Formats: sequence, C-alpha cells, structure tokens
Amino acid sequence: MTPAVRIEEEAARWLLRREEPGWTEADGQALETWLADCAAHQAAFWRLEHGWRRADRLAARPLPAAESKARWSRRFAPLAASLVALFGAGVWLAHDAAGRVYATDVGGHEVAPLPDGTRVELNTDTKLRADVTREHREVWLDRGEAYFEVAHDKAHPFTIYAGKRKVTVLGTKFSVRRTGDEVQVTVVEGKVRVDPVDAPKPTPPAVLTPGQIAIAKGAATLVTPKTVAAAQSELSWRQGMLVFDQYTVERAAEEFNRYNRRKIVVTSPEAAAIRIGGTFETDNIDGFVELLQQGYGLKIEKTDDEVKITG
Amino acid sequence: MGGGGGMLDQESLKDWFCAEVLPLERALTRFIGRNWRNPADVADLRQEIYARVIEGVARSGLPLQAKPYVFTTARNHLINCARRGQVISLESVVELTGANVAIDALTPDRVVSAREELTRLSAALDRLPPRCREIVVLRKIEGLTQKQVAARLGIAVGTVEQQMVFGMRAVVDFMLGGSGRLKRPPAVRAKEGRQ
Repeated sequence: MTPAVRIEEEAARWLLRREEPGWTEADGQALETWLADCAAHQAAFWRLEHGWRRADRLAARPLPAAESKARWSRRFAPLAASLVALFGAGVWLAHDAAGRVYATDVGGHEVAPLPDGTRVELNTDTKLRADVTREHREVWLDRGEAYFEVAHDKAHPFTIYAGKRKVTVLGTKFSVRRTGDEVQVTVVEGKVRVDPVDAPKPTPPAVLTPGQIAIAKGAATLVTPKTVAAAQSELSWRQGMLVFDQYTVERAAEEFNRYNRRKIVVTSPEAAAIRIGGTFETDNIDGFVELLQQGYGLKIEKTDDEVKITG
Repeated sequence: MGGGGGMLDQESLKDWFCAEVLPLERALTRFIGRNWRNPADVADLRQEIYARVIEGVARSGLPLQAKPYVFTTARNHLINCARRGQVISLESVVELTGANVAIDALTPDRVVSAREELTRLSAALDRLPPRCREIVVLRKIEGLTQKQVAARLGIAVGTVEQQMVFGMRAVVDFMLGGSGRLKRPPAVRAKEGRQ
C-alpha cells in the first residue's frame, strides 16, 4: 500500500467514525491531534470531507431524524438503482416539508424538488422557506434568486412572497430575485401574477406573460416586454454563466459579486459607465477584468479579496 | 505573496484549500500524469503536492491566485523528486521547466451545474462494486448507522467500515474529477455473522 492510500484510508476512518453515534469530545481532540501531525493528514482529511459533503448536499437532504430514517428505509427497503435512490431521497425530504428552509452560500447553486412536484433551483446566496404540500403551496424568498418550475395544479395556486410582493401562479416557469426591497420576476412560460403586499391603497396586479420581466420596488412595478430569449438569458446562471447585454461595467461587477467572495470594486466613474456585452462563467473574474484591461485599457489592481478597476 | 504570513488560522486555510485547490484536482492529476513516467506514483505525488501547498500557505499566507501557486508547487515537487534520483525521463524535466504550467493554469474550470453533479454522484455510485454500493447507499443515502447497516446485511461492523472507506474514497475521487475506479476493492465476506 502506498503512503497516500494509507493516509487516505486513515482519514476516511476518522471521517466515518465522526458520523457515527457515540463520537465524544475526546475523539474530537484525538482527531485534532492526528490532523496537526502533518500537512498530508490535513490534505487527505479535508479532501475527503469536502468531496463527501458535496455528495450529501447533492442528495438535497439535511441529516434526517432517526425516526424518519426508519420510515424511509421501510418504504424503500428493496435497494433501488442508485439514481432512483437519490431522487427518492429528494422526494422523501419533501414529505417533511413544513416550513423547510433551503439555502445556498455565495457561489452556490442547488436544485430542490418540492412535495407538489414543483422544482426549485436556487442561485447564489439564496434563502428560501417552503410550506408546500399537495393542498397548500406557499414559499418565502428571504434573499437571493430562485427559478421555479411549478407543477400545474389549477385548484391550488402557488404563491411566492418576496419582500413587498406576492407572486401567484398556477403552473409555469419563471424566476424571482430579491435584492433588499427590490423584486424582479422573469417569466419563461405561462402566466404569473404579481401583487403588492400590504400596499397603502389598492393597487392592480401585474400579470406577466412569457418574455416579460417585472421589476418592483416600493409601490412601483415596472414591466418590461422582452423576448423569451432575453428572459432566458436572465436565467443563464442556471448554466453557471452570466450573460451581459449592454450592461455597464458597474452592473456587471455587481453581478459577479453575487457569486464570488473575491469582489470587484469599480472606483473610477468613467470605467463604471462603460457598456459591455459578453458571456462569462460566474467565477471567471480574472477573464472578465483581463478583457477590460485588454479591450478598454482599464487599470486593474488585484489583492487577495478584491479586484479594483481604478481607471 | 499573501498578507498574513504565519497568522493564517486553520479554518481559513481549510476553506481556501477546499474552495480553491480541490477544484483543480482533475487538472493537477492530468499534469502529474503527463509529466511523470510511472502512473502508479500519481496518487502519492498528488498527496505530497497537496501537503506542500498546505505547508507553504501556512508559512507565508494565502497566494493571490491558487492555480499558478498549486501548479508551480507541483512542478517544483516533480523536479525535486526527479533530482533525488527517482525514476523520471529527461524530456519530462525539460517539459516541466517549460511553459506548460501556464497553459494548465489558464484553463478555465468547467462550471458544473447542480443537476450535472447529481448525475455525477449517481455515476460515482454506479462505479462501485455492487456490495460496496449497497453499503454506501444504506449508510449515505438512507442514513443508517454502520451498526444498522451491519445488522441489516448480516455482516460485521468492521466489514461495513472497510467497505465505506473504499466507497468514500472512490466517490470522492470521482466527484473531484477522477475515474472513481480505485484499485483493490476489498472482498466482502457475507457470512461473518451479526454483531
């Protein structure tokens, strides 16, 4: 056995034992000691922990309570094909859905199935609470952006609360994005109704059709007619891409900053106002600023956690 | 390079390693494979390079960019191993000192969507030997403890752990861009009696 394999197996055993019941504080200290032994231990343990946790997250399933586990096991006792098992895990989660919270970190991107058959895709830095059953469908978007493919059910409207807006649908494809008190709704398919929540005086709802984008702030709701293709490009994050069409550098920087811990800061007003177009991977800050540098002769300063565009 | 030399705490180091270094694993493995004659050494070399990266960053702070840092460390490590008289061909050394680090360092990582990742996890499980897969699914997806898995399948807890160790390594390898096929799957003896 090579040294790498030996260390990796040791790391795996630590990780597995930590997930078992009966893990004590003393065990934790022993693990710390083992990790402090050498960088190779750290490398192996961190790597396995990271990859293994990623597999967790993909099953879209928070660690279940012991009882639920048993229920799930009985129901699905004959071992299904792994894919079925995985999607089954998602469905299982849905059974337990009262007030369930779904969240992603900066740079995150998750898909969550809801109990009514609706599919929600969470963009970066997003928090969403769902109270969804087959009879009752309500979701609160506390932060960030989510794309919905709502299962069609005429009898039970699907309602999303985002800031001061209520978005109601019967079954359609659209996204809702919340930035502070601004709410943007982009429709790809079907009809979506946007109502103000506790408005001082009665306000008519806005009904959006495919290709339309509504931006709501305070009492005002602005509906922009666009093509379905343009609406789709607003949703390019689903493919991990940012599509800029005549964006100012400032706005493009803001978009990048939603997805990355390393922030782009534009200190020059002239540079901020330049309009650009293009398609970038959400984490390709370097490619983006390189293009600005080469294409527009802008000055770039890079530090550990910032990329400054200074003129 | 970075700011807080020696001041870097474990948490930040770990976060950085997971967020910036591990996504490079596929490219790094290819890089080692291309520049080292014996494929059997690749996993060891990668492990050593990771350790060196961690040591280096713990000493002198986070680098501005992970990619060039990791690949430079990799190159230096391979050259050192070669100089220490381990097996390596001369043209590899020449190649190593050439420009190909830059090329590797600039290849953008493919952004993997959540759906693709899910498919990937499922593919990773499919690559496991059947018995190992069964154990991993019971433990990982269904959330049974190792003891419960052992009882369910009528095998020893030690065997469950052994299979889990292998399954975890293979799944992680695959999730990080490897083949997910590791050598030497341990044999399962089904009749070990219950614990």
